[in-house]
Amino acid sequence: MGELNKEQIRKGLQVFQNLSDSKLITHLNSCVHCGLCAESCIYYLATKENRFTPARKVDIVASIYRRYHTITGKFLPGLINARELNEETTDEMVDLLFGACTMCGRCTMHCSIGVDIEYLVRVGRTMLSNMGMVPATLQSTVNAAVETGNNMSIPNDEFIATLKWMEEELIDEVNNPNAKIPVNESGKRILYTLNPREPKFFPLSISAMAKIFFAAGESWTLSTQMYDVTNYAYFSGNPDEARLIALRLWNEMGNLNAQTLVLAECGHGSRAFRWEAPNYLQEHFPFEVKTSVECIADYIREGKIHLDPEKIKDVVTLHDPCNLVRSGGIIHEQRYILNRFIANFVEMTPHGIDNYCCGGGGGQLSMSEYNERRMKIAEIKARQIRNTGASVVVTPCHNCVDQLNQINVFFKLGVRIKTLAEIVADALILDTESP
Amino acid sequence: MYWYHWITLGSLGICFANSLVHFLRLIRLGKPMDYSSPAGKIIPSIQYSFTGAMNPVKKESAFLHLPTYFAGIIYHLGTFLSILMFFLIWSDLPLQDILIYSIVSFLLISFSCGIGILIKRLLKKGLRDLSNPDDYLSNLLVTGFQLMTGIVLLWNQAYPAYFILSSLLLLYFPLSKLKHAIYFFAARYHLGFFFGWRGIWPPKKLERNGGWEN
Ligand code: SF4
Ligand code: SF4
Repeated sequence: MGELNKEQIRKGLQVFQNLSDSKLITHLNSCVHCGLCAESCIYYLATKENRFTPARKVDIVASIYRRYHTITGKFLPGLINARELNEETTDEMVDLLFGACTMCGRCTMHCSIGVDIEYLVRVGRTMLSNMGMVPATLQSTVNAAVETGNNMSIPNDEFIATLKWMEEELIDEVNNPNAKIPVNESGKRILYTLNPREPKFFPLSISAMAKIFFAAGESWTLSTQMYDVTNYAYFSGNPDEARLIALRLWNEMGNLNAQTLVLAECGHGSRAFRWEAPNYLQEHFPFEVKTSVECIADYIREGKIHLDPEKIKDVVTLHDPCNLVRSGGIIHEQRYILNRFIANFVEMTPHGIDNYCCGGGGGQLSMSEYNERRMKIAEIKARQIRNTGASVVVTPCHNCVDQLNQINVFFKLGVRIKTLAEIVADALILDTESP
Repeated sequence: MYWYHWITLGSLGICFANSLVHFLRLIRLGKPMDYSSPAGKIIPSIQYSFTGAMNPVKKESAFLHLPTYFAGIIYHLGTFLSILMFFLIWSDLPLQDILIYSIVSFLLISFSCGIGILIKRLLKKGLRDLSNPDDYLSNLLVTGFQLMTGIVLLWNQAYPAYFILSSLLLLYFPLSKLKHAIYFFAARYHLGFFFGWRGIWPPKKLERNGGWEN
């Protein structure tokens, strides 16, 4: 890394100023260096490298704070390991905060004090982002979203063609020529979003969700202008870009005059919009926002869709996406859904808010320079899956699907990976009187 | 009052004023302003953050490290007891022998726990790499304070040394990691706020019929 200039340092240190509440100060001052969080992190568990313990990630951010914002750090920096913000520190920060953390938040739950470690990692990433030091691979994903409206730069005509193709699939599947994938229709109840991985690599998941909407008789639409549920600027730590991306989806709700925004199966996308976007924009939602998981659970509860409990005979397990579950509060809905129709459902150990990350979160799937490390830490998830004896792994997140597919091949697990909508669509009992 | 009382009183004042600055800053900065719509309740979650979430069965930092966990608990109890004794010693309140011997016995155990934690920090590479001089000094001052409390309870010739050590500890407190005594409560509060707002804490149980209960 080249030498830092004064302006970069000033911008980096900005994160410790303009505090809006006591959260940052609290967590920067709380770690007691007990080291007891090590075993809660997949990076440490898989590699046994001390530098990957969550405490080290906390400390590198807190040490800079101590250097510039505490009396001891200013006059006796060696006593409390208060570090200058310089090339050496930022190199280490990039490696630890971008390259060795999926921002899964598991360590936070288990910290002996209650330090929000993942939050401090995000603060550290924001420092680096302010200094223009986000890994180029991750930044290019953000740039694609900012410049083209979706993080995979899918041209609109290609997207529309994919939707047309999926509509034909849907018509065949439900055997009803009236079935459709509505596009840019104003005044519908639901505006549905997608993870760009769907039109790009897994288009059948679009028709799966369309089939569920069809069976429920839902009034819904997709937008060709803004359908991307992801927000990689949440991972890069750039609040301005995160705000811009969130604002587009927010505005599209107004443009199409929809009542409810349904967030596609994407852990970080759900989190970034449901929980972070109102704070990026400093506004309360003027519309309802829910995840597709909640939407499907509601359809079942309200009797709008019916599932065939005889259809799926496989042993099925569930992977909990960290941002949807541990940091998003969607813990029971997916279990409620699966328990309706899966006879052989087995939980992983641990699961729910205690789950292990698949290893693809935090933007890791974008940062190819850390691929080897990403597959190394994935052995924790591979072991968990193998121990369930399941042949199908369901997860309500397309990023997790991507990582789990790679785990499946790499560790020769021989399982099938499905989204929740896909497995629900497989078991749908279609009412012939559906519209 | 002897000269060492005056030194300790001064140190206590400085410690209190500094700690108050930290505390008032937390209060001034206030609670988070979250624009998202809450999915749960804050108060029960904050209560849970200080109770159920601290249950050693729930935390890997506890159940994967039981000897350290229990040593830490005893060590902290020893510290609280020593602080209580500090005021009793200062006020010269007479204590029954049986009480003195019980307290000294407990302080000996908590002192050993402190030394054990220090030795672990020195011996384990991962912990050593994470540590800075403050981690050792903070431990030494607090562990020494517990030892001196026990000694002074048995032998009042140790008063000057006891009060000098207490003064050092009081002066060092706001400059070091010892101030986690203040920030710990704020951290648990913020964690409770975060997980409560998002409906994650307190945990809900999944019922067979698909509803949830608290
Ligand atoms: S957030 Fe997850 S990956 Fe990052 S340090 Fe904590 S446990 Fe490890
Ligand atoms: S468990 Fe918490 S307090 Fe202990 S080292 Fe880890 S982050 Fe710090």
